[in-house]
Amino acid sequence: MQFKFTKFATALIASGIISLPLAAHANDSSELEELRGLVQELSQQVKVLARKGEITEEETAAAKKTTPVVKASASGFGFASADGKNEIKFRGLVQSDGRVYTNGANDVRARSRNRAGSLDANGFHEAQDTALLRRVRPTIEGKIDGKYAFRFTPEFAGGSASVVDAYTDANFDPAFNVRAGKFKSAVGLERLQSGGDIKFLERSYVTNAILPNRDLGVSVYGDVAANKLNYNLGLVNGVSDAGNISTGTAYDGRPEVTGRIFTTPFNDSPTALSGLGFGIGATYTKFTGEQNLNWTDSNSADATRNGLPSYVSEGQQTFFRYGANAIADGERFRIAPQASYYFGPFGLIAEYARVQQDVSLTQKNEGDGSSTIDNSNLTYLQTLSDSKRRLKHDAWEVAASWLLTGEDASFKGVKPKNGFDLNKGGLGAWELVARYSRIDLDKDTFTKANNAAEYGAENATTIAGAYADATKSARSAQTWTAGVNWYLSQNAKIALNFEQTKFDGGALAAGQTSVGNTGLGIADRPDEKAILGRFQVAF
Amino acid sequence: MKKSLLAIALLSAIYGITAPSAYAKDVNLLNVSYDPTREFYQDFNKAFAAFWKTKTGDVVTVKTSHGGSGKQARAIIDGLDADVATLALAYDVDQLQEKAKLIPKDWQSRLQHNSSPYTSTIVFLVRKGNPKGIKDWNDLTKSGVSVITPNPKTSGGARWNYLAAWAYAKKQNGGDEAKTKEFVGKLFKNVPVLDTGARGSTTTFVERGIGDVLLAWENEAFLAQKELGVGKFEIVVPSLSILAEPPVTVVDKFAKKHGNEVVAKAYLDYLYTEEGQEIAAKNYYRPTLASVAKKYEGQFPKVNLVKIDDEFGGWQKAQKTHFSDGGTFDQIYQK
Repeated sequence: MQFKFTKFATALIASGIISLPLAAHANDSSELEELRGLVQELSQQVKVLARKGEITEEETAAAKKTTPVVKASASGFGFASADGKNEIKFRGLVQSDGRVYTNGANDVRARSRNRAGSLDANGFHEAQDTALLRRVRPTIEGKIDGKYAFRFTPEFAGGSASVVDAYTDANFDPAFNVRAGKFKSAVGLERLQSGGDIKFLERSYVTNAILPNRDLGVSVYGDVAANKLNYNLGLVNGVSDAGNISTGTAYDGRPEVTGRIFTTPFNDSPTALSGLGFGIGATYTKFTGEQNLNWTDSNSADATRNGLPSYVSEGQQTFFRYGANAIADGERFRIAPQASYYFGPFGLIAEYARVQQDVSLTQKNEGDGSSTIDNSNLTYLQTLSDSKRRLKHDAWEVAASWLLTGEDASFKGVKPKNGFDLNKGGLGAWELVARYSRIDLDKDTFTKANNAAEYGAENATTIAGAYADATKSARSAQTWTAGVNWYLSQNAKIALNFEQTKFDGGALAAGQTSVGNTGLGIADRPDEKAILGRFQVAF
Repeated sequence: MKKSLLAIALLSAIYGITAPSAYAKDVNLLNVSYDPTREFYQDFNKAFAAFWKTKTGDVVTVKTSHGGSGKQARAIIDGLDADVATLALAYDVDQLQEKAKLIPKDWQSRLQHNSSPYTSTIVFLVRKGNPKGIKDWNDLTKSGVSVITPNPKTSGGARWNYLAAWAYAKKQNGGDEAKTKEFVGKLFKNVPVLDTGARGSTTTFVERGIGDVLLAWENEAFLAQKELGVGKFEIVVPSLSILAEPPVTVVDKFAKKHGNEVVAKAYLDYLYTEEGQEIAAKNYYRPTLASVAKKYEGQFPKVNLVKIDDEFGGWQKAQKTHFSDGGTFDQIYQK
């Protein structure tokens, strides 16, 4: 703009200069004066126009400093103050899944033989093929005054609304932040990977069985040592394994302490080790669960509030459940060493988790000494003497990924070099993934409380001796998963997984009616073979 | 050797615990000011830092922000956390109280001379030889005279310019409001470009070569004449002008937040000292301290000055009548 005005002015002045000799030749001084005046006037006008342009630019630049910015990008939609200190963003995640089971059982056996549906040879309901909405999560997040942030994410999948995340952050310093509300428990590595960024349709047993999901409380976290060490220390209500607390009610006992440190010691080095990270997470609490007074066998550990989990396979079928008379009773300690490595298109996550859980058995009691149990009139429960045991369950996983189309792998999502486009020939990004994951439950889980050598089975009307029924719940599960992810764009992904799970125990051998003292009569639950598919849009 | 080192370390530790006050503090102070005070506060800040170091041992670093007075006041209200505000007119300082409660209502009575440590007035700066023969305000309304002044909506200096012209026209027209308005309207018709601040107008006139006359703060006119374009400009003193009283205040809320209350007050008090007044006078501000005013009286031309309170009933009324949305300035400038 300035350049144009200057050129214009120069041209005008030049034309004046050229015209001066002509005027002089004309020897007409008044005409010369008139021309001079005209040139000066035009020169002033051009200067004024140029100056107005400058002032407009200055005002525009000044206004930019205070004008709010509207944002619309692949990372979400929102608006922010000009200085970026105040911001609100709208994000979303929708996952539409399909599950096809070529083989597999649904839930624990004999829970309800009256239910409709076919039973397999072992008396299990067969896992049912289904289409479902896995995650439907709009998110509102933002920050205020540059330091205070918030996030609110409800979940609409599954037929009812619930709160996934609702927390506030105070970001005092990169090394010192405080979070309060309901949030992801910072213990496991895979859990901290966003639901939209996970490489497989479902997380491994480490995450989906042992470690906590989300909890209510407060945590302090930050990056120290030149961003090479991340720490997180939390004080929360405490949730059962893989639990996602939905209320603010804690168990009877201490709040749970959670902690995690994770280091990426070579993150600023140009070597192949720059993508290496490793750390360890842990939780500790001491509490007593509540036995469900009406003795119904509920689907959800949270609902029964016995403080004990049930475990699901990768195909999301329940394969382990504590007996109805078992309750958490004492300490719970989890530990989870973990590592990740990214180099070029290759990515690797390895994680192990152990939970040590004190468990006791309860006994129904009428309170009046009556030997006849009236389920509708129970007054209190007793803990069966000497029934407390410390059960140790272990899980681990190794997962690898390889991007075929040249993108770099990372803990976060994949941004294709060329988005899928039929007209321009873009293929999107293609990624192969494979994982081995397994869980092994403490063998004492299935033996009688007062006799470690004797297997027990839960009985509907009398107190069983074991913490879980070996004819219904498996002692271990081992899953191989292979899959492919097709990233159509940064925001759209189609994923396909094939998984096969082998179980140890969890069924009654054919022709048997009960389990023997040495475990005779226990059979393996049928293998689960499933194809899981997903179409996901995230922004 | 090791024992000596240990002793030194112990002594250092003990000294550190018992005599923390012996260590000088680093103090950062922000002065948000109006446009033409750049040079003055550059000199003043150095002098104050030296004074404060001698007095307390603390190292004070004063940062200054300059712009149109109205814009600067709005910036402070919007969160620019100034420890002190040194603006062009009292109305802009009033806004800090009215809009954001950053200062107490009685801010103006906290320092001498209604918190105006120096004064100034409005004069004309013309090109060498005064080719358009400009002598007084009525020359500015003539056809073909190009007048440079900033925008009264954003600049304190521009409001002083406007009111000085108004006062002259009112006197010339025997108090006739309509004729006064017409006069000022004619004057503003000769303004080809409105800058947001006084320094911008100086740039327009001096550096860009636009206009025949610049309505300027007296100090700005001196600066342009003696330092920005030696021998290129002349100062014309009109028959009547206005006494401009730029006020100063501690911005209590922000000074307290920064822990700078004491140093901020001292900074403003230093403006009233002989040293502060000398620096003001050397930068062509009229000192209020009698001894310094006398010393520099030859530097400043004698002008018939009207006062804002006498002529316009104070800044609140003047602002509402002339510069608020729909006020006389909007009416004449839109025509």
